[in-house]
Amino acid sequence: MSFPIMLFAGLDFPSLPQQLVNGLELGAIYALLALGYTMVYGVLKLINFAHGEVYMLGAYIALFTSWALGFGPGKMAAATNNPFALVVMLIASMVGCAVIGVLIERFAYRPMRNQSRIASLITAIGVSMLLQYGGTIFLPNSPPPNISENVNPYRGSIEIPIVPRNAALKAKELALLKVSDDDEAAFNAYLQRTGEGEFGVSAPGIPLRDAARASDRAYNQAKNAAEATGLVITVETGQAIIFGMAVLLMALLSYIVRFTPAGRAMRAVSLDFDSAALMGIDVNKIVVFTFIIGSSLAGAGAMMTATFLGTPLIPFYGLVPGLKAFVAAVLGGIGNIPGAVLGGILMGVAETLVVWAGYSSYRDAIAFVILIGVLLVRPGGLLGSAKVEKV
Amino acid sequence: MTLTLRQAKGAAIAAFLLGGLMAGCTGGGSTPSAPTTTPAPTTGSTPSPTTTASGGTPIIVGLVASENGDLAPWGKDEINGAQLALDDFNAAGGIPGHTVQMEIQDSGSKPEQGKSAAEKLIADGALALVGEVSSGITAQIVTAAQDKQIPVIAVGATRTDLTQGHSNVFRVCYTDAFQGPVMAVFAYNELGLRKVGIVTDEKQPYSKGLSASFRAAFIKLGGQIVDEQFYESGQTQFGGQVTALKSKAPDGLFMSGYFTEVGQIARQAHDAGLVVPMFGGDGWDSQQILQYGGDAIVGSYFCNHYNNKETRKEVQDFLAKWKAKYPDEPEPGTTMGALGYDAMLLTLDALKKDPTLDSKGLTAAIEDTVNFPGVSGNITLKGMHGNPTKRAIVVKLTKDGQIFAKAYEVADVQKALAAAAKK
Repeated sequence: MSFPIMLFAGLDFPSLPQQLVNGLELGAIYALLALGYTMVYGVLKLINFAHGEVYMLGAYIALFTSWALGFGPGKMAAATNNPFALVVMLIASMVGCAVIGVLIERFAYRPMRNQSRIASLITAIGVSMLLQYGGTIFLPNSPPPNISENVNPYRGSIEIPIVPRNAALKAKELALLKVSDDDEAAFNAYLQRTGEGEFGVSAPGIPLRDAARASDRAYNQAKNAAEATGLVITVETGQAIIFGMAVLLMALLSYIVRFTPAGRAMRAVSLDFDSAALMGIDVNKIVVFTFIIGSSLAGAGAMMTATFLGTPLIPFYGLVPGLKAFVAAVLGGIGNIPGAVLGGILMGVAETLVVWAGYSSYRDAIAFVILIGVLLVRPGGLLGSAKVEKV
Repeated sequence: MTLTLRQAKGAAIAAFLLGGLMAGCTGGGSTPSAPTTTPAPTTGSTPSPTTTASGGTPIIVGLVASENGDLAPWGKDEINGAQLALDDFNAAGGIPGHTVQMEIQDSGSKPEQGKSAAEKLIADGALALVGEVSSGITAQIVTAAQDKQIPVIAVGATRTDLTQGHSNVFRVCYTDAFQGPVMAVFAYNELGLRKVGIVTDEKQPYSKGLSASFRAAFIKLGGQIVDEQFYESGQTQFGGQVTALKSKAPDGLFMSGYFTEVGQIARQAHDAGLVVPMFGGDGWDSQQILQYGGDAIVGSYFCNHYNNKETRKEVQDFLAKWKAKYPDEPEPGTTMGALGYDAMLLTLDALKKDPTLDSKGLTAAIEDTVNFPGVSGNITLKGMHGNPTKRAIVVKLTKDGQIFAKAYEVADVQKALAAAAKK
C-alpha cells in the first residue's frame, strides 16, 4: 500500500496541466522531425540518418537569413514588431532544406538504391557525419552564433486562466506592491542623495535597503499566495506559434498524402516500390517529392526552435533532436505517418513528466526506456505492422 | 546523452567536461602512450632532478595556451596578458645577466594536447609552466610537470581539488569553494533574498561543486533553498525545469552552469513569467551570454575574477598598457588577460627573488608570495597550498557588458558567515 503513496508524495499536482502543455510543445517538434524519417522509410525502406543534419542546416539557413535581414552580429537592427523577417526566414529554411534533401537523395542515396539495404544505411550515416564535420569547417560555430531575439516580435507569454484567483488575496497583493514600490523609491532616493552605489551602502542606508528588500519579499509572497489559489496555464508565445505551425503543417501533409495524386502515388510506392514503377508511376519523382516534403518540415521545425528559443547553433545541433525523432518514429511504427506524430507527442510528454516528477537527470534516458518497452510488446511500434525487416 | 561535441563547444570552458573525466582517468591507464602517467606517490624520497639555467643563457618560462579550439578566445587573451607581463618585467630591468623568454605551446583546447604541450616545454628547458584557463587542461599540465617538479601556475582553473597533494602547483584565481559562498553572501545581504532556487548542470563537475558550496553557505546564512533543478549541457528546452521552479515561488535563481545554457534558461524563464533576480559563477563570463540570454539576462549578477570598469589603480594601469599594446582588440583587458598577466608577472617576480635560478628554488619563491599586487587583486600564496587568499568580484550584467557591483575579500565572507552563525 505504501509504495504508490511514496511514489506520488512530493509530486506537484497543480503544475501538472502546465507540464503537459510543455510536453505537447516539445513533442510537436519531435513529431515534425519524425515525419521526415517515417516518410523516407515508407517509400525507400531507408533510415535517413542525415535528417538531423538537414534540421541543423535549416537552423543555419534561418540564421543567415536573419543576418541578411540586418539582425546580424555587430550592428544589429533594433527589435521589430512585425513578423516579416520571421516569414522570410521560415520560407528560406523550408526551401533551403528541400533543396538539400533533394541533393542528398540524388547524389548519395540514388546511386546506392539497387545495392544492398545495408549499403544505403551506411551511406546515410556517412552523409550525416560529412555534414556534421564539414559544418565545423564551413559554418560559424566558435563561439556558437544564435538568432537574435530582436527578430522575433512574439515574446512573453499568454496566460490562460482555468480557475480564477482569490480576489481578496489579489487585493492584498496589490496593496503590498504599493508598499514595495514606496520602499524601493525611498532607498533609491537615499542612493541619489548620497551618491552611494546600490551595493555596499554605508550604515545609515542599510535599514532603508533592508526595508526595501523585505517589502519586496512580502509582495512576492502575497503574489505567490494569490497565484496559488487559481490555476493559470502559461503558454510562451513562441512555443504556441511552434505548436500551431506544427499542427498546421501536419494537417497539410495529411491532406497531400490522402487527397492529391502525388500523395496517392506516394502511398502506392510505399506499398510496393517495383509494382508502382510497373504501373507507370515515376518513382524517382515520387522519391524526390518525399524528400522535399520531409526536409522542408525539418527546415520549418529548425527555423522555429532556433528563432523562438534562441538556441546557440553548432554543426551538431541536429544530432540529439534527430536521434530522439528517430526514436519517436520507431515508437509510433516507422513508415506510419500518424504513428510518427503520436510517437513524437508521446516522447515530448514523457520527457516533461520525468522532469515534473523530479528526475530531470533521466530526461534523455526516458526516450530509450519507452522505446525498449514498446518494442518488447509491439515490435512494429504503436501503429506499425509487425513485419520482420532485415536492415 | 549522446556524445556530442556540442557540450564541449557550448560551454566555452567545457573542455572541463572532458578534462574532468580525463583527469579522473589517468590513473586507470587511459593514456597508455605516456609513461609518465603513473607517478610514484610523491613521498619526496627520490631526489627530483631540476632544470637549471646556467649563467648567461636565456631563461625560458613556458606558457600553455589554447591557441586553437573552443577556448581560443580565452587562449588569446591569456597570451596577450602574459606577453604584457613579460614586457613590463623586462622594461623594469629583468634579471641582470640573463634574457628572459616566454615559449608558448598550443594546447588546442584539449587536455591531452595540453599534456604534450607541457612536456615539450619541459624538454625545451622551461623553468616554470604558466597555464591554463581551464581545469581539465591544467590537470594534465600538472601530470606532465610531476616528475621534474616543475612549478605550475594555473591561470583560470578554479576546480577546488586541482592543487591538492602537489607542492609545485599554484593558481592566481580563487577556487569554486570560494565563489559559492561569495554569491550566497551577496544574495542574502545585498539582494535580500531568502528563498532561492538552484539550477545545476549535472554534466559539469564545476557546476555541481559550485551549487553545493552555494547551498551550504546560503543555508548557513539563514536562507532557504526551495528547489534544485538539473539539466545537462547541450539541452535546449528547459520548460519542465522552469515550471517546476516557478511552482516553488523562489525569490531568486542561482544558476551554476556555463553561459550557453544559462542564457537560454534565463530567456525561457522570463517567457514563462518567472521573473526574479538571477545570479551565478564565473562560468557566465562571456560576451555571448548577452546574445543567448537577451533582455532576460540583463540585470543579473555573477562572480568574476576581474572587472575592467573598476577604478583601482592596478586595473587602470593595466588597461592603459593593454590598450597601447593591443589597440585592435575589441575588448580591452578581459578576465583571462588579467589573470594571464598576473600569473606570468607573479612567476617572473618570484624568479627575480630566487638566486638559484632553478625550478626547485623557483617553486619555493612562488610559495613565498605575500600580497602580490595583482591586477585581479592581492595574491597571497604563502602557506595556502597553492590556492591564493584573494578577493572575488560580483559584477552586474548590463546591455553594454559587465559593471562592477561589489568586491569581497576572503575575510568579508568569513565575517558574514560567522555573524550568521552567531545569530
